[in-house]
Amino acid sequence: MSTFGGGYAGKMLYVNLTDGSIQSRPLDRSFALNYIGGRGFSSRILLDEVKPGIDPYCPDNVVVIAAGTLSGTPTPSSGRLVVAAKSPMTGGLGDANSGGYWSPELKYAGFDAIVIHGKAKEPVYLWIEDGRAELRPAQHLWGQNITETRNLLREEIGDDDIHICAIGPAGENLIRYACVVTDEEGVGGRCGIGAVIGSKKLKAVVVRGSLDVGIADPERFKKTLDAYRETLAGEVWTETLRRLGTPNLTAHRQSHGIWGAKNFQRATIEDYEPISGENFRKKFLMKPIGCMGCLVRCKRYSAIKDGPFAGIHTVGPEYETINALAAKPYVTDPAIVLRAHYLCDEYGLDEQGVGSTVAMAMELYERGLLTKEQTDGQEMVFGNGEALLYFIDKIAYRQGFGALLAEGTKIMGERLNADYYAIHIKGLEVDATDPRKQVTRALTYAVSTRGACHLRGNPYIDEFIKPEEAEAYFGTAAVSELEALEGKGKMVAWSEDWVTISDQMGLCKFAWYRSRSFPMLIKRGLELAKEAFISATGLPMTNEKLYECGERVYNVEKLFNLRQGIGREGDYPPARFFEEELADGPAKGCKLDRKEYDRLLDDYYEARGWDKKTGEPTPEKLRLLGLQ
Amino acid sequence: MGRQRIGYFEDLQDPERICSRCHMCELICAFHHHQVGNPKRSRIRLISLDKGVDIPVTCLNCEDPPCMNICPTGALHRLESEGMVTVNEDLCIGCAMCVNACPVGAVTLDPVDGVAVKCDLCDGDPQCVAYCPANVLKLTDAERFARHRMKEYAKFLQAAGETT
Repeated sequence: MSTFGGGYAGKMLYVNLTDGSIQSRPLDRSFALNYIGGRGFSSRILLDEVKPGIDPYCPDNVVVIAAGTLSGTPTPSSGRLVVAAKSPMTGGLGDANSGGYWSPELKYAGFDAIVIHGKAKEPVYLWIEDGRAELRPAQHLWGQNITETRNLLREEIGDDDIHICAIGPAGENLIRYACVVTDEEGVGGRCGIGAVIGSKKLKAVVVRGSLDVGIADPERFKKTLDAYRETLAGEVWTETLRRLGTPNLTAHRQSHGIWGAKNFQRATIEDYEPISGENFRKKFLMKPIGCMGCLVRCKRYSAIKDGPFAGIHTVGPEYETINALAAKPYVTDPAIVLRAHYLCDEYGLDEQGVGSTVAMAMELYERGLLTKEQTDGQEMVFGNGEALLYFIDKIAYRQGFGALLAEGTKIMGERLNADYYAIHIKGLEVDATDPRKQVTRALTYAVSTRGACHLRGNPYIDEFIKPEEAEAYFGTAAVSELEALEGKGKMVAWSEDWVTISDQMGLCKFAWYRSRSFPMLIKRGLELAKEAFISATGLPMTNEKLYECGERVYNVEKLFNLRQGIGREGDYPPARFFEEELADGPAKGCKLDRKEYDRLLDDYYEARGWDKKTGEPTPEKLRLLGLQ
Repeated sequence: MGRQRIGYFEDLQDPERICSRCHMCELICAFHHHQVGNPKRSRIRLISLDKGVDIPVTCLNCEDPPCMNICPTGALHRLESEGMVTVNEDLCIGCAMCVNACPVGAVTLDPVDGVAVKCDLCDGDPQCVAYCPANVLKLTDAERFARHRMKEYAKFLQAAGETT
C-alpha cells in the first residue's frame, strides 16, 4: 500500500537492461513534494544519474518514463506521459510528451515512473502488470512497425486492451529524431528519445493494471472536477479544438503570415485552402478523439476514403503535422500529407524532424548546394510530395540520401557546409511558427531547455492580459502592450515555470493551460491544479509552492544543460531570423534585431536569477529553490 | 415507462455525436462507486475496435436476467419489478457464474473486492450520462432505444431516396 493518501502509485521501477535486474523502490515523500511528478521526476533523475559528456547512445544514458501525478485519477485531461533522456538531437536534456491512455495505465499497474539504465544484448520488451515487471525477448518484434508490433503483442499476451509504448524501425535504426508511440494515439515526438530507447534494444514497454489510484479527499476532488468543467463552458478555444483540433491553427498562421513555410523562406502559403484545418475536417474526419478523461477532445480520427491512399485510418493530423509535412516542404495535397503522417507514426519518426530536414534539403537543392546524384536521383524541389513520401521510407531505414536526412538539420548543415539553412535551436528544429514577427516568441523557443519548442512557455500572455493584471503579476503594465519589451523577460520566465506544472501533473496544456483571460489561466493552471493535487494526493500544497516546483524543475533542466556544455550561446534563434526579413504576407519585412534580442535575453536571465554571461543560476537562486 | 438502462445514442451523420474514446464514463463510474481512479472497477466499459470504432457497453437490464437467474446465493436480485438487477455484496461468493451468463459481459468481478459488480444506474442519476462530453450516453429503455435505431434507419432511407 502506498504511503500517499492517493494520486501516486507510490513506487518507482528501476530496470537495468545490461544485467536484466529489476527493482521496485518506494517513492520518496519529499521528492514527490519538490518535483510533483512527470517531467519534474524525469528532469531531476536525469540530472542525478546522467554523467556529463556521455554519448546519448551509450549504455550510461538513462531513459525515464514518468506518468503525471494526476494520471489515473478522473481529473480531466490528466493522462499525459513524459519520456526523457539525454537527447541525441541537442546533447542536452531531452523529453517528449504524449497523451492517450498509457500514462494512467502505468499507474493502474502500480508505478509512477520507470528508470531504465544499461543496454540489452538482444531486443527485449518490458511487461508490467499489477506491481510486477519482467523483461521478455523481443527479437520477433524487432523491425516491425508500430501497428504490427501492437498486433503481435496483443496476440502474444492474449489481450487487446493492453497498453503499449513502443518504438518503430526508426528508433531501432537510431534515426536521430525517432519518437516513441503510445498505443494508437500518443506520440512523444521530440528530442529523439525513440533513438535512445532503440540504442538500448528496448522495443516496447507494455502495461496492464487493475490497481486503484486513490483519491485522498473524494468530496474536495469532486468539487475540483466540477469547477474545472465549469471553466470550460463558454471557452471558445475548447469549441474550436473540438471542431477542428489543433489544425484550427492553420487559419491563424495563414492570416498572420507566420508559417515558416519552405524552410522559413515563405510566411504564407499560396495554395492554402487544401491544407486548412477546415479542409482536413471536411475530407477526412471520422470523429474527434479524447485522451483519458478529456472533455475537450482535440485529437482527430481520420480516414482516407478514396484516391491512391484509400483505406488509411490514422489518429491525426495535428497542426504540427501540417506545419512539418505540408508548410515546410510546401506540399499542399492533403492526402499526401496524411499519408506522410501515417508513415511517420508507423515508423516512429518525429514528423517535425522529417519535415524540417526534407525542407532544408529542398532549399539546398534549389540553391544548387545539393545535386541530383546526392539525392538518389530525386527532384528535391519544394512541393514535391512524392519526394517527401519517398524519403520517409529511406530515412526510417537509413538508405541512400535518407541516411543523411536521418541525422537532422544540424548535422546535415555541418556535413554539407550549409549551417545557415539548418533552422534549429540547440539542435532541435524550430516548430509551430516563424517567430520573426514576435521577439517574445523567439525568446521562448530559444531558451527552451529541450531545444526549440513552442510548448515550453506561453509567450502569448501579452496578447490579452489587462494592464492592471500585468502590473500585479509582472510589476509593470507594459507587459500588456504587444510591442513593448519591458517586463517580457519576466513574463516568459513566469510562463515557463507555470506550464512546467502541467508537465509535472500530467495535465494537457490545451485543456488546462489555454485561455484568452489571464485570471482564467491562474484559476485553471494554478488554483484548480493545486486543488486537484491536494485532494488526490492528500499532500499539502499552496499556489506559491506549486509555482516554485515548476521553477525548481526549470532550473534543474538548466543545470543539466550547463553541465552538458550548453550555455548562453545555445539560447539564440537561428541566424536566418536575424538576417532575413519575412518575405511575404501581413508580417512582411519583420525580422529579429540582435541588440533587442540580447537585451531581452539579459532581462530574462535577470528575471530567472541566472548569470547574464554564463547562464548559471546564482547561488542565491539555487539556495531559494533548495538546489545548492 | 419500461425497464431503464443506459443507451448509446450515436449519430453517425455527426462526427461529434459519436463516442470519442475519452473513457470518462469508466473513470466517473469507478469514482462514484469506489472513490478511486480505476476503470477496471467501472460498470460501464469502453470497447475499442480497429478503425476508430469505440462502443460503451453496460447492463441491458434484461426482462428475464440470466445473471440473476443463475446466481446460486440470491446475491443478484431485483427490488422492484421495473428496477435494475443489483448485487448484495454480503451474499455474493464471487463464483462468477453471472459473469459467464451475461450475454454482453456487463457483469464483472471487481478486481479489488472480488465480488460481482454491475450497473446500478447510480440511484437514478447515472454519472456516465452526466459526464459524457459527447452526450451520447442516455438513460433510456428498450422502446426509446428502438425508436432511436428506427430514426437512424429512416434517415438512411431518406438519404437513399435523395440520391435515386
